[in-house]
Amino acid sequence: MPPNNSLPPKENALFKRILRCYEHKQYKNGLKFAKQILSNPKFAEHGETLAMKGLTLNCLGRKDEAYEYVRRGLRNDLKSPVCWHVYGLLQRSDKKYDEAIKCYRNALKWEKENIQILRDLSLLQIQMRDLEGYKDTRYQLFTLRPTQRASWIGFAMSYHLLGDYEMANSILDAFRTNQMKGPYDYEHSELLLYQNMVLAESGQYERALQHLNKFQSQINDKLSVKETSGEYYLKLKRFLEAEIVYEDLLKRNPENVMYYQKLIEAKQLTDPDEKVTFYDAYKKEFTKAIAPRRLQLTDAGPAVFSGLVDEYLRHGLHKGIPPLFVDLRSLYIDQSKSDAIEKLILQYIENLTSKGTFSSDPGEEKQPASALLWAYYYAAQHFDYKKDTDRALHYIDAAIEHTPTLIELFIVKGRIYKHAGDPVSAYQWVEEAQAMDTADRYVNSKCARYMLRAGHIKRAEDMCAKFTREGVPATENLNEMQCMWFQTEAAAAYQRLHQWGEALKKAHEVDRHFSEIMEDQFDFHSYCMRKMTLRSYVGLLRLEDVLRSHTFYFRCAKVAIQVYLRLYTQPLQDVPQTTEPDTENLAPSELKKLRNKQRKAKRKAEQESALAAQVQVKREQHHKARQQQEQGDPEAPQLDELIPDKLARAEDPLEQALKFLQPLRTLAADRIDTHLMAFEIYFRKGRPLLMLQSLKRAWGLDAEHPHMHDCLVRFRGWLDDNSDGLNDHVAAVIAKETDPMFGGRSAVQLSQQYLAGAGARAQQCALWAARAHRRLLPHAHAAALAAATALHYPDTTIQGCVEVLESLRDGDFGPCEKETAAYMDACHAKFPYALAFKPPQPLELPNHDDVPLKLKDLAINN
Amino acid sequence: MNIRCARPSDLMNMQHCNLLCLPENYQMKYYFYHGLSWPQLSYVAEDEKGHIVGYVLAKMEEDGEDNRHGHITSLAVKRSHRRLGLAQKLMNQASLAMVECFQAKYVSLHVRKSNRAALNLYTNSLGFKILEIEPKYYADGEDAYSMMRDLSAFAAENKSDYQADNMEIKSESAIISQC
Repeated sequence: MPPNNSLPPKENALFKRILRCYEHKQYKNGLKFAKQILSNPKFAEHGETLAMKGLTLNCLGRKDEAYEYVRRGLRNDLKSPVCWHVYGLLQRSDKKYDEAIKCYRNALKWEKENIQILRDLSLLQIQMRDLEGYKDTRYQLFTLRPTQRASWIGFAMSYHLLGDYEMANSILDAFRTNQMKGPYDYEHSELLLYQNMVLAESGQYERALQHLNKFQSQINDKLSVKETSGEYYLKLKRFLEAEIVYEDLLKRNPENVMYYQKLIEAKQLTDPDEKVTFYDAYKKEFTKAIAPRRLQLTDAGPAVFSGLVDEYLRHGLHKGIPPLFVDLRSLYIDQSKSDAIEKLILQYIENLTSKGTFSSDPGEEKQPASALLWAYYYAAQHFDYKKDTDRALHYIDAAIEHTPTLIELFIVKGRIYKHAGDPVSAYQWVEEAQAMDTADRYVNSKCARYMLRAGHIKRAEDMCAKFTREGVPATENLNEMQCMWFQTEAAAAYQRLHQWGEALKKAHEVDRHFSEIMEDQFDFHSYCMRKMTLRSYVGLLRLEDVLRSHTFYFRCAKVAIQVYLRLYTQPLQDVPQTTEPDTENLAPSELKKLRNKQRKAKRKAEQESALAAQVQVKREQHHKARQQQEQGDPEAPQLDELIPDKLARAEDPLEQALKFLQPLRTLAADRIDTHLMAFEIYFRKGRPLLMLQSLKRAWGLDAEHPHMHDCLVRFRGWLDDNSDGLNDHVAAVIAKETDPMFGGRSAVQLSQQYLAGAGARAQQCALWAARAHRRLLPHAHAAALAAATALHYPDTTIQGCVEVLESLRDGDFGPCEKETAAYMDACHAKFPYALAFKPPQPLELPNHDDVPLKLKDLAINN
Repeated sequence: MNIRCARPSDLMNMQHCNLLCLPENYQMKYYFYHGLSWPQLSYVAEDEKGHIVGYVLAKMEEDGEDNRHGHITSLAVKRSHRRLGLAQKLMNQASLAMVECFQAKYVSLHVRKSNRAALNLYTNSLGFKILEIEPKYYADGEDAYSMMRDLSAFAAENKSDYQADNMEIKSESAIISQC
């Protein structure tokens, strides 16, 4: 029979019940009614019923069938707005937003004024930031439903987001005068502040200020009124009024740093001495506030600094404020301030030891015994900052002897070892701290992070497990809770251990969190219009626009890109067959050991699979519970499981790397690493124009950067090798654009000049330059080696030396065993605590759970 | 250390701070929910680099006109930044905003029975009273104290132009409450 979209009354009533069931999430009943219609041969192919059946099935998690029914329904009734709308909803639940938008548009072709479809369309448009489309849809909704609040708000918002502030403001004005009746409540208050934000963003501060002053009695959020009016007064250079506002704000919150800065701006103070005097007044007014005392230290010049910091330090040591050093650390960029503090601290320690007072002044009151402890603690951190490991350890040991029960001391001792290049002792000391207060998750997290830095991933997971949900592996719970610090650290740890698949898995998990957080905004598009929290909503949209500029994303993307590049250059071999060890030639004792080991491994595997089974059951229960809870909120599409081995054998590692790179190119364009990674990818893909683009951007950020320079040399070489294959136009562009960078020099000349220039001044530059030099001129072996292994560079670090050592071992400088050994010795002498340079010896018996340490984990990583 | 009202762009870093410090964790969407429903109520403490070292995540419980009250969903200060009085300062700012923007009469919170340090902070420094014990409130089966603090003093001060109160922190270490 031909499809017919009109049902007779009885069936039509049934169809309406399907819709109602869908709205009320009674999916089983919905299917029953659908069956009643479809089982009648006359309506077996009724398009809208089939589509609704599909949509209902989707809510029950039967996605494949859902698509089948919805598509069949649509085929049978291509002119039905219902079928198109349903198809759009299905695609939307599958996060295929572009497809969904097309479906909604088709639906609207057949029913132009369907409010529900227009609303759904507008949500997708704002989610996808189709701002023009959003504006059109909001306009239609406005004309169709001019009495509804959301119609006005959405209409105004669409203009605001496009930068048409005048229009947005007029709509809001009209809405406020015509629609907002009744009590001036929170929503009204938020609306006024939103309108004020629109005015401010248009740059009309005078007008915004008038608006604010006119309506301030109707606004609940007094803090916003004051903060924004202060801004406006400053922008309009009405300094006296600004002063009053910020004085007022400080009374409310004397710990807000910005208020002091703005007040200084309003008072037009530029001279550091004036600023010091300025803070004196607030120190007196807010005796308990830290901010004025601390900010004063930043501005204080040499003449007054010592006296002020003396007062500050004594207060902190007397009271026993553990973060005293953390608080003052940023002053250390000024060497004279660091020296002044050192002098005072040493003087305190001397006097506290001998007389129990801070100074030798006989009239001074005696300090509590704890003052000496806190002075030791401060001194340890001070010398650690100055990379003086011996003195740092001396003071922290003195502190521990003084009070062996203070957790903070052990954390600092661990940190000292970390900075000295001994990540194993580092985590062991923090583990001591952790054992002293197992209820504190901060110490637990810190300990886990130190373990990851030392390459003990399993141990770190076990540590975290003390705070994750029982019955689920720690990593799974951490992933569910979007615990990105752990996942980025773990990704880097796996990378250092050359466990490429695992590293990629962690990086992908972090990437998925970011996708999920992008999704999170969906519900707020309509929610905030009801709540009227429009300023925050715009803040959310702007945050989501740049979400992947977050440092967690940068770090995980960097790991992923580096790993994919490595896997492109050195793909994994096929899995080797596990060979039975040759048991015949083993001594009986060794054979016994081997058997024991195998037995243990087997037992462990069994335990693990039992746990895994348990977890599976729990997960299903959890899932079920959640499904019941959310009943029918179309479940998020099931993402593919991330399997390390599969990830490490990706067919297209460079394409995968590009996916991670893409967001960085816009959101982290100010970081040179972004463009260097881009270059490395395009270099391997042989894409000259994209290499050029990446290089130009990197060069613009730092023309002396060592890795950038290496890319420059390699690009020059690549052009020499591939000039024949280039199209004339491309060649001309490259020649023109590279001229400022190459300056007519050959690869060898570039490399030579860099080696002699930057390479003579900094360790990193020397390494990269020497490596490039030796690559181009293999006979210049000795000179290159000498430059790379020199240790006189002022910026020499443990990490830098580790990189040199790796490069030597990787054969970048040809066979050089003798030189490598000599370099190790020299580094060991310079950095005696660093594990990376210690002569090989059995460190500790490796735990059977743990991967043995490799050189790279011994590097410090800050 | 700087104390200011939280913005949407702080919410991810608050989640990070929460995961470092506390056993009760939430997905980002829950932070968004707070930040977009009651943008005035959450505060952060940040260091000079802009890293969040403490926060209070708060909301309103809107059950009826005459029972309007705020609720502290989560409060944390990194152990490395204890004894600066941050928790107390964060709480006072949030409480003031509850009164000013939402006419809250009191603020409530839950705290683990075993968390002596937090209990001490709330009772001694912030004037909270224990209302009742909620058995097995936490996922791991631990009981919670349900606590509240009357905010009428804030409302009064609010009218005569608020002065930041200077109560000093006396407890050994400030921390931790959970919704």
